[in-house]
Amino acid sequence: MGRARASVAHWLTFGVVLAGGLVVVSVLVFTILTAFKAPGEAFGSGASWLPKAFQWGNVLAPFKIAPFDKYFLNSAIVGVAVTILNVLTCTAAGYSFSKCRYPGRNVAFTIVLGTLMVPLEILYVPLYKIVYDLGWVNSFAGLIVPAATSAFGIFLMKQAIDTVPDELLEAARIDGAGEFRTLVAIVAPIVVGPMSALALLVFMTNWDSYFWPLLVSDESHRTLPVGLAAMQSNNLADTGVPVILMAAILAVIPTVLLFLSLQRRFVEGINMTAGIR
Amino acid sequence: MTRVLSIRGPVSLSRRSIAGVVTGIALAAPALSLFGLFAIYPIVQVFVLSLFDYNLTSPPHFVGFANFAYLSTDSRFLESFVQTVIYAVGSYVPAMALALALAHALRGRMAGMGLVRLLYFLPLAMSWVAVSIIWRVVLHPTGMLNATLGLDVNWLTSSDTARWGLVLMTIWKETAFFLILFLAGLAAIPTALYEAARIDGAGAWQRFRHLTWPLLRPITVVCTITATLRGFQSFTPQAVLTHGSFGTEVVNLFVYKTAFEHARMGRASAVAVLMFVLLVGLAAIQLRAFRRVD
Repeated sequence: MGRARASVAHWLTFGVVLAGGLVVVSVLVFTILTAFKAPGEAFGSGASWLPKAFQWGNVLAPFKIAPFDKYFLNSAIVGVAVTILNVLTCTAAGYSFSKCRYPGRNVAFTIVLGTLMVPLEILYVPLYKIVYDLGWVNSFAGLIVPAATSAFGIFLMKQAIDTVPDELLEAARIDGAGEFRTLVAIVAPIVVGPMSALALLVFMTNWDSYFWPLLVSDESHRTLPVGLAAMQSNNLADTGVPVILMAAILAVIPTVLLFLSLQRRFVEGINMTAGIR
Repeated sequence: MTRVLSIRGPVSLSRRSIAGVVTGIALAAPALSLFGLFAIYPIVQVFVLSLFDYNLTSPPHFVGFANFAYLSTDSRFLESFVQTVIYAVGSYVPAMALALALAHALRGRMAGMGLVRLLYFLPLAMSWVAVSIIWRVVLHPTGMLNATLGLDVNWLTSSDTARWGLVLMTIWKETAFFLILFLAGLAAIPTALYEAARIDGAGAWQRFRHLTWPLLRPITVVCTITATLRGFQSFTPQAVLTHGSFGTEVVNLFVYKTAFEHARMGRASAVAVLMFVLLVGLAAIQLRAFRRVD
């Protein structure tokens, strides 16, 4: 009897959260349907969710009103470069902090840890001055290099490498392997999980990045968020709405697909960031 | 550990340990030099620049605390600070509360629950700019929200409602982030504890109040620190949707306009210094409050 009541409660909860989830997703359904409408059909009295006729040509429209393919390419270049650099620098530093002994190691790591709580976006003005002085404004270097490592990544990789037993490393060293060989041949294969979680998080964060690229990219270096925002402000009239929505949908497809296929890694990665206290 | 190893012979070990020291430093060097130049140095720079009048093209001119004196009387800056607090608290407190409630409901291993969770997670995989563009249509006077609820609100073009439109959008986008953290937090609590509490006759509320809430505290602190950082540094939705009109000019947008539209890098740095001190202070207070209870 108690079990029956519990199962009713379970199903009730399930129904409520399912309804809530559908409300969340309804925004996306509405967006996708509107993106296939004819210009001018998006709003107005009696606008229905369904287009009168699906305008399949809208899929290509963003590429006609702006160099949308260029934005995609730039975002891909910057995203891949930043991801690879983060995985390399953070894994190397994580290994160094975890397994190597040298004076100043703990001080350096404490400084890295301390900046985890630092609000970096508020520091874009001095960062801009530095990048400006380096002559990197309006270049890929300005977009990539300042984002090439992260305190969070270093911490995450150190945590992961801490779990690798020292005996394993000793064995490799006795066999004559140097630190670098040990890292590549022994440690990296063991921590490939955290490395891919880091890669996923870094790539997705970079794909989302708007403020910094807005400051350091001219027309030919615009990434997707910057290009998308510019397209939006050039198409404020209601007639442009389906096309700009289509652009927004196309822009999120890579990260949504990544997320759907690697959901578990992503959740794991976010939870590893919580391990930082 | 190293002491024990040195029994094996000081000469060979010291040669190897010198090589080890060099490699160890070399492995950390790329990350640390990038980190020094693009994270530590800007922190130092922002304090220095805040004392200068500087427009990027001509040499900086020392002005002492004049930038701070100006800000203390600038109503636009003070207003942007108020709007930031309203946005951060208005968006992130409900998002965290919602996430905590949802985490309880979604934790089950019931068939289909994974799929329902996915529905909530989706907005997290979408960029802020894309979400802002999507919500411009949702919040349009004849857009999805008004049409569905039969409302007649000019969400984004009135100073009474624009900030709340942004708050709604942020709750929609950000709840999932905290949901993921709370789900992991709940999963880490042994179910045996709940069984024991139930046998002792604890009701659902009591189990939450005396078991879940204290055990979740570490996660809750992570959530509030992250939420504070995210909320107070918000820029994209305000920049893309309203460009700060209708009472939505938050501090980061004010910094952006001051530095890059009016070329007042010194004054913008002074704002950044104030926010930097505030946010680091808030993080420290939250950590300390957490430790004390612990």
